[in-house]
Amino acid sequence: MKISLNHLKTYVDINVPVEELCSRMVMAGFEVEDIEKEGDNIKNVVAAKILKITPHENSDHLQICSMDVGADTPVQIVTGAQNISEGDYVPAALDGSYLPNGAHITAGKLRGAESNGMLCSGEELGLTEEDYEGASVNGILILKGAPAPGTDIREVLGLDDCVIDFKITANRPDCNCFLGVAKEISVVLGTKFSAPKPEYKTAGRNISDYISIEVHNFDLCPRYIGRVVTNLRIKESPEWMKKAITASGMRPINNIVDITNFVMLETGQPMHAFNYNDIRGHKIIIRNAEAGESITTLDGKKYDLKEDMLVIADGEQPSCLAGIMGGKESEIENDTTDLFLESAKFRRDNIRHTCRALGIRTEASSRYERGTDIMNVEYASERALQLIYELDAGDIIDGAIDINGGLPEERVIKVTTDKILELVGVDVPDEKIVSILNSLGLPTDINGKELTVRVPSIRDDIEGRADLAEEVMRIYGYDHIVGRPMRGETVRGRKLPERIKTDKIKAFLCGAGAYEIATYSFIGSGAADTLLLDENDERRNQIKIINPLGDEYSVLRTQLTTSMLTVLSTNINRKIPSGRFFEISKRFIAESLPITEQPDELATMAIGIYGEDEDFFTLKGIIEGVMKLCGAHTQYERSEEPYLHPGRQALVKANNTPAVVFGEVHPAVAASYGIDCRVYTAEIKLDMLLSINKRKTVYKPLPKYPAVERDFALLCDKELPVGTLENAIAKGAGRLLESIRLFDVYSGSQIPEGKKSVAYSVWLRSADGTLSDTEIEAVSSAIIKNLEAAGAELRK
Amino acid sequence: MKEKLEAIKAAAKSAVSAAAGEKEIEELRVKYLGKKGELTAMLKQMGSLAPEERPAAGQLVNEAKQWLESLIAQKKEELKSKATELKLKAETIDITMPGKEVAAGGLHPINIVVNDMIDIFQSMGFDVVDGPEVETDYYNFECLNVPADHPARDMQDTFYLADGLLLRTQTSAAQIRTMENRRPPIHAICPGRVFRADEVDATHSPVFHQLEGLVVDKGITMCDLKGVLEQFAKEIYGSDTKVRFRPSFFPFTEPSVEVDVSCSECGGKGCRVCKGAGWIEILGAGMVHPNVLRCCGIDPDVYSGFAFGIGIDRITTTRYKISDIRLLFENDKRFLEQF
Repeated sequence: MKISLNHLKTYVDINVPVEELCSRMVMAGFEVEDIEKEGDNIKNVVAAKILKITPHENSDHLQICSMDVGADTPVQIVTGAQNISEGDYVPAALDGSYLPNGAHITAGKLRGAESNGMLCSGEELGLTEEDYEGASVNGILILKGAPAPGTDIREVLGLDDCVIDFKITANRPDCNCFLGVAKEISVVLGTKFSAPKPEYKTAGRNISDYISIEVHNFDLCPRYIGRVVTNLRIKESPEWMKKAITASGMRPINNIVDITNFVMLETGQPMHAFNYNDIRGHKIIIRNAEAGESITTLDGKKYDLKEDMLVIADGEQPSCLAGIMGGKESEIENDTTDLFLESAKFRRDNIRHTCRALGIRTEASSRYERGTDIMNVEYASERALQLIYELDAGDIIDGAIDINGGLPEERVIKVTTDKILELVGVDVPDEKIVSILNSLGLPTDINGKELTVRVPSIRDDIEGRADLAEEVMRIYGYDHIVGRPMRGETVRGRKLPERIKTDKIKAFLCGAGAYEIATYSFIGSGAADTLLLDENDERRNQIKIINPLGDEYSVLRTQLTTSMLTVLSTNINRKIPSGRFFEISKRFIAESLPITEQPDELATMAIGIYGEDEDFFTLKGIIEGVMKLCGAHTQYERSEEPYLHPGRQALVKANNTPAVVFGEVHPAVAASYGIDCRVYTAEIKLDMLLSINKRKTVYKPLPKYPAVERDFALLCDKELPVGTLENAIAKGAGRLLESIRLFDVYSGSQIPEGKKSVAYSVWLRSADGTLSDTEIEAVSSAIIKNLEAAGAELRK
Repeated sequence: MKEKLEAIKAAAKSAVSAAAGEKEIEELRVKYLGKKGELTAMLKQMGSLAPEERPAAGQLVNEAKQWLESLIAQKKEELKSKATELKLKAETIDITMPGKEVAAGGLHPINIVVNDMIDIFQSMGFDVVDGPEVETDYYNFECLNVPADHPARDMQDTFYLADGLLLRTQTSAAQIRTMENRRPPIHAICPGRVFRADEVDATHSPVFHQLEGLVVDKGITMCDLKGVLEQFAKEIYGSDTKVRFRPSFFPFTEPSVEVDVSCSECGGKGCRVCKGAGWIEILGAGMVHPNVLRCCGIDPDVYSGFAFGIGIDRITTTRYKISDIRLLFENDKRFLEQF
């Protein structure tokens, strides 16, 4: 809410500088977004007297002026203007000055003559005729009177106002107006406040001879007041009104329209003026729109209406979109002679709903949306008539039609001061509480400790002790609240087990050289296509955002790989040679689309690596580490993820449930992310891993007897996975197996075509004693037997 | 005999002290103490002495033998340590050569800050809870005292997914779930992601992070709220930090306050960071609105509580002086490495 400070002063005494006013208002709950000082963009421009004018030798239109600018010696300024005479007082922009249009004036030479500044026109100072008489003259602005040379021009022109932009919180719709803010200022500063008392004379006759009003829906329109003014004398509004309206960001139009706007700005109650002669049947009906109806509003746009929208109709059709915008047909124009003036209360949620549905927002509708006061409807109407009377804008017809569905009874809150202070923990004296509430317009009595607070309808935000506590504290001062340590038994708070486990996994990954990343939870709708996902892949069931910021952020992610690939791409394209990254976040899986209930939010982890030293197995090593940390028993199988390299990817089962898919990214997919090197990603169902109950660690005694190492050099088909051989060794060694280490895989010269050589070291150990040669031999042959069964033979 | 022995000893002593290497010493040992060594020979000659002279002479020779053995051992030790010394000297390295890199990644700066915040609140007795990111209108708005078509809905731009389903705009939604699932006394925080349809720029992100705090018990006042926030602010911004309450409005708290901390850059004098104000706004807070308590089945005449919501991204960018919030979501390794 932007308000002119000078205008505010017509309602309330303001005895402090504007900065102090603003900081005190901030501490009372009214944030100040901006203070715009009039003339703030004019610097180093002074009133000056023209001492002497001489023609310029090298120009037939330039004149050289000797100026008294309040300095010891006159200053020479060259001007092209012709409307000046010796002895005139004019604005002079001195060397180093600034003008509102951004111009920076410095000393220089004009056709060889020294000029130490510039004489200014009204326009150059940003003035209009309304600001200063003579400002629109084409030429230099001639100042009235004889201001002392050297006086700041802003002082001379009376540019001492400023516009304060208060941020009004949603609970205080009563402060979206001059009077509301002025009232608060009076409480904060402790100064006098007075609202205008509407008085006017009528021209006789009776409104009932002019118009009838029907309200068909009191739920949406609880109160409607109509007045009629005839013999309109439409003209410009007076300067003070135009200034007040302009300061608040509205445009002056003519006296009638300006009065309705001014009254809205002053009282917070929107007004609407109809051209009386355009009201068919001289009948006003407040009703819901009918199916198929439409309206063309003041701005010339046509809207199709729905039945839940409220309209002001005449005898035939909608004439105004209630509380939002008037109709084109009944607009006030310069030749309008008679006026029907509306002041009404409309239900705020209905106005908001209609505005959203039609995509309109006006000064009036935004006030209705926030809430208006049913009792204020009458005051605003009276105030408008007072202004019509005072500005001689028309003849006011006797009588008002006031239709309402019942006016609310005054609400009374009874509560003890203790109950209020219990919430804040500060001792505010009872009498202070009473005086603060009274000053805020909440008439309050006290009996013992019990307060009786009468709440006017304008403050329907006040419901109980919590609201009263806030009213008292914001005036008494929040600085009185002194922090105290939390009472009660202080114990360390608990974390969910999932969070504790996740933190451990993160620590492990950081230890493995990976950096945690953070990416958006929504991705582009084409992500599933880019990953070449199958038609029936459940990851295609992406939940769409109804109002996304753009297509690239339009669906909730069902996997984290897309975001990971984007991050890898960013880093690769910035020539960062290598990187390991991980992200833990949620993926959103809908039961069905479109969704009707909350989707499953599954904790998920993505890992992505690239660089010269990275390959499938470095990623596999990281995953094995995570699996071990989570206590998972793992199995590795070939997988068929379309976005991964068909021969370099694996599915990891944890305790027989698929938990991880990882591998080298398919070059075609990598290319669609602008990646031209090998990158490796893993997508891990973290929720699954977190649900594994890790066996409690129990210490195993250290071995007492020596281990025996046996090496096996094998030959097998090239295609045979070494995992099969390891399983065979493990089966053969049975419970004597301590560990298996693969130390060589080779194919090439000396190895038959289609075969490979594989070499293992196997450690055997018994907990019961040193292994004898016979035992070792027996185990070795069992291993060899199993290896042969698996398709390998010992190398000769 | 005695003279001969002395002569051998003298010769051996000078030979041992002159020896320069282990090999020479070994040769000397053989020369004097070996099977055919000079002292061994002396012992063998004992037989030629008169029986009464033998014990004394034998003792003399044995003493000389022991003396020489220890002399040799001593010399050997001396030579060995000298050799070690030389070897170590030869092994001197250039300590300015680079260390062998140990791979070490790191947490995202947001989560470093989250973890710090969790530690602070956990030590004050707050439990850490979670809530869903896709919320119902009921939990995100209605039960938080923001009915449909209420102007307070304009305070945030919401991403909608379906009728009544949205991406949560505030972690406050988790307040309600917490109050439904627990009975007072409640001390809980909920850190998490929140979403608002803000166009991306240096200070706005459609995805950001909040930490919601909630306390409900008998006799909770705004002084308790200030106490908790003061402790938090001192741990995050330094022990001299002051906390200021400024009246404000949130639909789910009453009274509501904006909470400012004294600018850690200038100590409150006013600088570029705080735009001359001396204070920086860090969070919104207030006493839980009676309607919200009622909605969760908690009697507002018996219990009171406070809630606060802290913008984690803002604290992160201020702490590390990050000028553009977009850097947090870009994930350039050279950025991530710095934390």
